[in-house]
Amino acid sequence: MTRAVYLDHNATTPVRPEVVEAMLPHLREGFGNPNSAHALGQGSRKAIEEARERVAALINADASEIVFTSCGSESDVMAVYGAAQAGFNESAGKRSHVVTTAIEHFAVSGTCRELAARGFEITTLGVDENALVSPESVSGAISERTSLVTVMTANNEIGTIQPVAEIAAICRARGVLFHTDAVQGVGKIPVDVRALGVDMLAFSGHKINAPKGVGGLFVRKGVRLAQLIAGKQESSRRGGTENTASIVGLGVAAELARKDLDAHAASLAALRDRLEAGALSLDGVRRTGNPALRLPGTAHLCFQGIDGHQLVVGLDLDGICVSSGPACHSGATELSHVLKAMRVPDEWGKGALRVSLGWGTTEEDVERFLASLKKVLGKLRQSATI
Amino acid sequence: MSGGVDSSVAAALVAEAGHEAIGVTMKLLPGSPTGFGCCGSPEDIGDARRVAERLGIRHYVLNFDEVFERSVVDRFVEDYVKQRTPNPCVECNRSVKFGALLRLAEAYDAPKVATGHYARLEEGPNGVRLLRAVDEAKDQSYFLHSLTRGELERVSFPLGEMRKPQVREKARALGLRTADKAESQEICFVPGKDYRGFVRSRAGDEAFKPGDIRDASGRRLGTHEGLPNYTVGQRKGLGLSGGTPYYVTKLDGPSNTLVVGSLEEASSTRFRVGRLSKISGALPRSCRVRIRHRGDLHEAQVEENGPEALVSLAAPANAVTPGQSAVFYQDETVLGGGTIEEVLG
Repeated sequence: MTRAVYLDHNATTPVRPEVVEAMLPHLREGFGNPNSAHALGQGSRKAIEEARERVAALINADASEIVFTSCGSESDVMAVYGAAQAGFNESAGKRSHVVTTAIEHFAVSGTCRELAARGFEITTLGVDENALVSPESVSGAISERTSLVTVMTANNEIGTIQPVAEIAAICRARGVLFHTDAVQGVGKIPVDVRALGVDMLAFSGHKINAPKGVGGLFVRKGVRLAQLIAGKQESSRRGGTENTASIVGLGVAAELARKDLDAHAASLAALRDRLEAGALSLDGVRRTGNPALRLPGTAHLCFQGIDGHQLVVGLDLDGICVSSGPACHSGATELSHVLKAMRVPDEWGKGALRVSLGWGTTEEDVERFLASLKKVLGKLRQSATI
Repeated sequence: MSGGVDSSVAAALVAEAGHEAIGVTMKLLPGSPTGFGCCGSPEDIGDARRVAERLGIRHYVLNFDEVFERSVVDRFVEDYVKQRTPNPCVECNRSVKFGALLRLAEAYDAPKVATGHYARLEEGPNGVRLLRAVDEAKDQSYFLHSLTRGELERVSFPLGEMRKPQVREKARALGLRTADKAESQEICFVPGKDYRGFVRSRAGDEAFKPGDIRDASGRRLGTHEGLPNYTVGQRKGLGLSGGTPYYVTKLDGPSNTLVVGSLEEASSTRFRVGRLSKISGALPRSCRVRIRHRGDLHEAQVEENGPEALVSLAAPANAVTPGQSAVFYQDETVLGGGTIEEVLG
C-alpha cells in the first residue's frame, strides 16, 4: 500500500524530526521540574526560557510576553475570558461588552457564549461573502462599555486573512483591548505583534509541526488578565508545572518556521494554486473565499449537490486525508457556521472540502489528490443520479 | 453498525472472513441529541466506533438523514393520516439501507454491504434467493421482501445461520462491548414509543378530528379521538363498554368514522396488494403469505395483475391492515411482496 497523502494540515501537522529529537532528552534524563532549585530543575528552566526566546522571535514579541499553555483553545479562553473579566472587575462592572465575529473558532465563540450567560453583552459581527470582517463594523460596535474585541487572524476553514492591523489600530484609539486567535496564521504567514499592534495573540504547537498539548498566548506588557489556572508559574499568568518537552518542541518548531517562512509560504501557495486549478477544471466546483487575502496552504472548494462528508470518506478510502470542515466526525452534513456567515447556499455549502497543505507536501501529493478527487467525485455524482 | 450487538457481530464475521471490512454507522436523524433507541444516538455511535476499533477496522459515520426523512418519516406520517398503518422498517430497507447506502457503497468500490439482519441468502441456478433466518424468533425476512435480485447480489447477512444467543456468545468471545446490550425498540425515530404524539406533532391537530364510532350496520356506539390513533384489529382503548368485545374493522377516512365489529368481522380473506416486488420472477398461483412481522404464514391464492396482486386466503385472517406488508413465501424462500392497499372482504 502506498503512503497516505496528508492534506489536512489545518487540522494538525506532522511533528518534524528535529522537533522530536529536541524533545527526547526532556522526556528521558532531563525530567526536572523547571521550578526546582537544583541543577536538574535549572536545566529544564533553561530549556523553557530558550524556547520562549524562539517563540517570541517568530512573532516579534519580547520573551517576557509569551505565556505557554496547553493548546490554542486554552490560549483563546485565557485571553477572552481573562480580559473580559479583568475589564469588568477593574471598571466596577461598567465594562461588560465584548465584540467578536461570526466565524471564530469554538474556543472563542464558546467563551463568548459563556460570558453572555454570565451577563456580559456580546456583539457578533457578520462577514462578507469572502469571510472578511470590516474594520468599520468593529468601529461601529465599540461603545464605552466595551472591554475587548476579538477577531481571528486567519480562518481555519476558508483561510481568509482578516485586516488585523486596522482593527487593532481602531481598538487602541478607542482604549479597548484587542485579542486575535492566530492559531492558523502563526508560522504560515508573517505575524508581527508590534506591526499588528495587538494586545493578545493565541497560537498552537501542533499546527506548526510541534506536538499536540502545547500552545501559547502573547500578552503585551501591562495587559491584565483574570487568571484561569491559579499558580505562580508563567509569571503568575498560568499555574501548573510547565510541559517542558513540548515547550522545547514548540520552540524548535517556531525557529524552523521562522527560518524559511517566506520561501515556504511561496512554495505552498504555488502547490495550492496548482491543486485549485486542477479541481476547478472539474464540473460543479467552486472556490470559496477571496483568492488574494488567504493562507498560502489552504484551498476551500464547494462541490454542488455533493455531501462533503461522503466525499471525504471516499477520498480516505483512496488514501487521501482531507476534511469537509472543522471536526466533522459526527457525520452531520450541516453547513459550518463559517459558510453560513458567508451566506454560501446549501447546495454548495454541504459539499465543502477543505484541502490544507503544509510542511512535507509535494507535487506528487497534489497530483494524487487530483486524480483521486476526479475518480471519487465522478462515482458519487453517478450514484446520486440513480 | 448501529451500535447494537447484531451489526457488531456481522462486522466481526466479515472481518474474520478476511474481507476488508469498513464499518459504517448511518446517521438517520438530524440535529442533536440524535436518535432514540437504535439509530445514531451519540452513545450508539460511540459503541459502534469502539467495536470497530476492537475489530481493527475503519469506521465512518455517514449521514442519511435527508433520504430517511423523505422516504421513511414523511411516509410514516402520511400513511397514518391516510388511515394506514405503515411499516417503516420495510421502507428504510428499501430506500435507505439497501437504497442510498448500497449506492454509496458502489461509489466507494465496496462490492458488498453486510448488515446484522436475520435472514439468509442462497446462491442457486436461477440466482440468489432470500430465505428465512434459522432463528425463527428473530427472522427479519419479512422486512427485506422489497429488495430486488440485483440488490440481494450485493448484500450479505452473516447472521442468517445463527441464533441470537450464539450472536451474543460470539460478541462476548470477541470482547465486544455491545454483547449484552438491550434490543432496540422498533420505531427508532419516535421518541418514547408514542407514535400517536409523533404523528400529531408532524401532521397537526387537524389530522386528529374526533368522529363517530359505528358498527357495520351504521349504529353509533361512541366517539373516537382521531383516526390515526387506531389500527385495524385493535381492541383496547376504544372506550366502548358492553358485553361482547369490539374490534376495529375499518378506518373510514371520507366519513371520519371508526368502524368496529366482532372478531369475525375484523377478519378477512381477500385483499389487494400494491407496490408489488418479486425476487424470482412470476409468483406461483399458490403460496403462503405473511401479513405482519412474525405473523402466521397463511395459505393463499395469488393473482398477479401488473404492479398489483389479488390475494385470497384459504381461511380468514385477523386484522388484515392497509399499509402493512404482505410477503409471499414458498417454504423458506421469500418470493416477494408488497403493501396491503385495500381489504376486499
